Formats: sequence, structure tokens, C-alpha cells
Amino acid sequence: MANFVNLEVFSNYQKYIDNEQEIRENIRVKVREIEHLAKEATIQLQVIHSDLTKIDSACQAARKQIALCADVYKQLSELIPAGQYYRYSDHWTYITQRLVFLIAMVIYLEAGFLVKRETVAEMLGLQVSHTQGFHLDIEDYLMGILQMASELSRFATNSVTMGDYDRPLNISHFMANLNSGFRLLNLKNDGLRKRFDALKYDVKKIEEVVYDISIRGLRNETAQSTVEDVAETN
Amino acid sequence: MSQNSRYRPNNRRNQQRNKNAPTANLNEESNPVVKVFQEYARELDDKHDRYERIVKLSRDITIEAKRIIFLLHTIDGRKNNRSKVLEEAEQRLTKVIEINFKSIALELIGQDPYQYRGAYSPGLQEFIEAYSFMEYYKVGADEISGTMSDWNFLQQKMQYEQDDKPHQMKDDSQLPVDSPMDVKVEHEIKTEPQKFEFFVDPTEYILGISDLTGELMRRCINSLGSGETDVCLETCKVLQQLYSGYISLNVQRNRELSRKIYTMRQSVLKAENVCYNVKVRGGEAAKWGAVFENKVTEDLDEGFY
Repeated sequence: MANFVNLEVFSNYQKYIDNEQEIRENIRVKVREIEHLAKEATIQLQVIHSDLTKIDSACQAARKQIALCADVYKQLSELIPAGQYYRYSDHWTYITQRLVFLIAMVIYLEAGFLVKRETVAEMLGLQVSHTQGFHLDIEDYLMGILQMASELSRFATNSVTMGDYDRPLNISHFMANLNSGFRLLNLKNDGLRKRFDALKYDVKKIEEVVYDISIRGLRNETAQSTVEDVAETN
Repeated sequence: MSQNSRYRPNNRRNQQRNKNAPTANLNEESNPVVKVFQEYARELDDKHDRYERIVKLSRDITIEAKRIIFLLHTIDGRKNNRSKVLEEAEQRLTKVIEINFKSIALELIGQDPYQYRGAYSPGLQEFIEAYSFMEYYKVGADEISGTMSDWNFLQQKMQYEQDDKPHQMKDDSQLPVDSPMDVKVEHEIKTEPQKFEFFVDPTEYILGISDLTGELMRRCINSLGSGETDVCLETCKVLQQLYSGYISLNVQRNRELSRKIYTMRQSVLKAENVCYNVKVRGGEAAKWGAVFENKVTEDLDEGFY
């Protein structure tokens, strides 16, 4: 009975785990590259809070950075053995959420609608379904969208400061849609759920901004109907 | 809004549809955001439902594995019940492989097993613990020079074939890259029997074996109570070997494992102390010294009993 213990198991496991750690190190290098690129894009986009005329150029600059990220994502995806996305995904979930946020922000600033998951995946060179390989996880996408909501509520206040009174109304409308979208989800009691619970404060903040400019008659008359729509949906 | 999402009925997808039908006014119908979110909701629900189903299956495995471990503890040198108990334990373990693990493997066809690791890992670890405990008795019983089997052996045992309901083929890397997007692969019609497996992650195996040390320590102390001092010495030796195997591992950032190794050290010390007492005081007196230290790895047990 004393020879029950098979010490070979441990040396085999050591080999297995060494291999895993090597993969993890390579992943970390790539993730750091993406983080660096994403940080640049984040800085570029900050200008929208201080200068409304620079929005277009900021979006272009951010798009350039995002396109660079797609290349690194491709290299990253080559490091992951098939079917082991979720084994290592904790390394890149955070940064992917950040990039979803950036893309969603750019698309909103450029076109005024919510970016679809497919579009984000395409811009980052990722797949949509895990069966097709390295993909954009749905929860990462949703987390990124929620980050955008907070940024938009900040943007709404700042655009009032900069004298743009129409923008908060658009943002408010957009956020109301977003909120009703998220209410369709059955969220588990996890990080996504917690982040979603914060969405109502973002919505509330924007509504207050809209209220403030409405009672002071700062908005122009054409926007009137939009505001009423928004009030109804809430 | 939070009220709404806190309400989570069992069959979420159907409930969701019913709930939305009357409330969705024209405004929401035409809203493109709502439209895409309905798709996201479906995907999330599918994932959460699958996760819950696997959790349930895993709990059944945990319960049965714990019962098998209890059964194995009834092996007593004085009662000569070893072969009978072992036979029953092995039968029940095979049943767990044939039924419970097969169900999980079915759920995971075409999925990334790591995504649902949290759902099945308690059951798998408990099963590995029970299985290796059974093997420990078996090796001792037949006086054969066998050793504990590794994850590859268990992996071999968890291969399944299905002929009535065809499924996607699973390769060794546990995920068919070219499988269709649709998660309901049951709709696929193929004639030859489909093979699939339950993926045994080596890390889960190592964690499961570390739980075995708690059982060995328990056995060491129980046999002191029943006066089988040779069993005390022998389990202690096995524990020491396992411990040296574990501390030889150089694993970074696995908090679960380092916690288990810490507990293992406590078990080894307890067993060593038992052996010490046997040596200096003789088997009779030692039980008064050690039997009250019986507060074993309680914090590690998942608390089903």
C-alpha cells in the first residue's frame, strides 16, 4: 500500500503547468500592447469633454488606435489553443471591455446609435460566436456598453457647460433606449449585474440635466417633442 | 428596474417572452436597441440555464461521491468487509461516470469546458477524491504494485458514445472549432455513433487528490481508535509522500491549490503526531491523546453534511 503514491503524476503536472504558464506570459505581453494602444485612444477621446469642435478628429484618432488593436488581437488569438478561450480569458476581459467602450463611444459620437456586437467584433477582428474561434464575449460587450453610459452622462453635463443644449436631449433619448434594452436581460448576480445597477444613476443624472435646461428654456423649440418622448419612455 | 431583473423564474426564456408581449408597446417594438437586446437576452439566458443545469448535475455528483467516501470509511480490518465495500464503491463510482458525468458531457458538447468550470468543478473534485480513495484501498487490498491513476486514466474512463441522439464529434482539445453556431446540436442528424467525452482538467485532478489527504488523515485517526496501529503508520507514510509531491509543485497564482497545500500540511502533522503517540505510548494510550484533535478539514468540505 505504501507504493500507492505515484510521484510521476506530480512531475507530469509540473510539465503541464509550466506549459500553461508560458502561454500565460505570452498572453500578458500581447495584452499589455493592447492596453497601451487603448490608453492612447482613451486620451484622444477625452478632448470631447473640453472642446466640441474636436470630436471628429478625436474619433478618427481613436479609430486609428482601435485598428491597431485589431492586429494585436490577431496575434493574441494565435496564442490561444483551440477551445481554451475561457481558460485564459481573464487576462483580456478587462481590456476588451475598455475597447468596447471606446468603440461604442466613437460610433455614438459619429453616428448617434448603439454599436452592435457584430460591429465591435468586426472592428477588433474577432468572431461573434465562440465556436468560430477567438470571439467577443457577450458579457464583455455589455460591460463596455455600460461603461459608455457613464461616460455619456459626464459628456452630457460637459456639453451643457460648453453651450450645446441639444446634445443632452439626444443622449437622454439614447440612454432611455439603452436602459430599456438592458431591462430585457435576466442578469445573474455577478459583475455585470452590479454594473447594470449603476446605470440608473447615469440615466437619472442625464434626466436632471435635461430638466435643468428645459425649465430654463435653454433648448430650442424643435427639441420639445423629443423630450416628451423621453419622459414617456421613462 | 432592478425589481424586474431580480425576478428570475425557472424557465426564463418563456417567461420573458410572455412578460414582454403585453408590455412591449409600439415604441419598444420599433426600437432597434431593444431588438438587438432581445437577442443578447436569449444568448445570456441560454448560458445561464446551461450553467444552472450543470451546477445541479455537479451537486448530485458531490453528494454521491461524499456518500461513497463515507462508505469507504466503514472498511475495518476487524470486520473483514473490505472486498464487499470496495465492490459496492466501485460499482457506484462507475455509475457516476456512466450517468452523471455523461449528462455534464452532453451539456458541454460544442462548448468551451473552461467556461463552465465553476459549475462542475466541485463535483469533479469530489469525485476524484472518492475515486482515488477507492483506489487506495484497492491497491492495499490486492497487494498489487498499482499506483493511483492519473488524469489521463480518468479521461479514458469518461469517453462516451451516443447512437440514438447524434452529436458533434469532440476532439482531444475538447472543442470542435468547426461546429455550427447553433448551440442546439441535437438537431444535427448523423448516422454513425458520436463520440464525446467529459474533459478532465489536470488542475482539477490535482485539487481533487489534495482532498484525498483529508480522508487519509481521517482514516489514520479512525484506525487509531479501532486499534489498528499499523494502518496509522501506513496512512501517515502515504500522506508524507503525497505532501512531498505537492510541495514539489511550482505553481504560480493558484490560490486554491496553495490553500489546499496548507490544509494538507495540517493533516500530515496530525497523522505524524498520531504515529508519534503510537510509538511512545503504544496504541492503547495514544487514542486519548489524538482522538480529540479530530477537527479535520471542515473548512474545506463543501458542507453537504
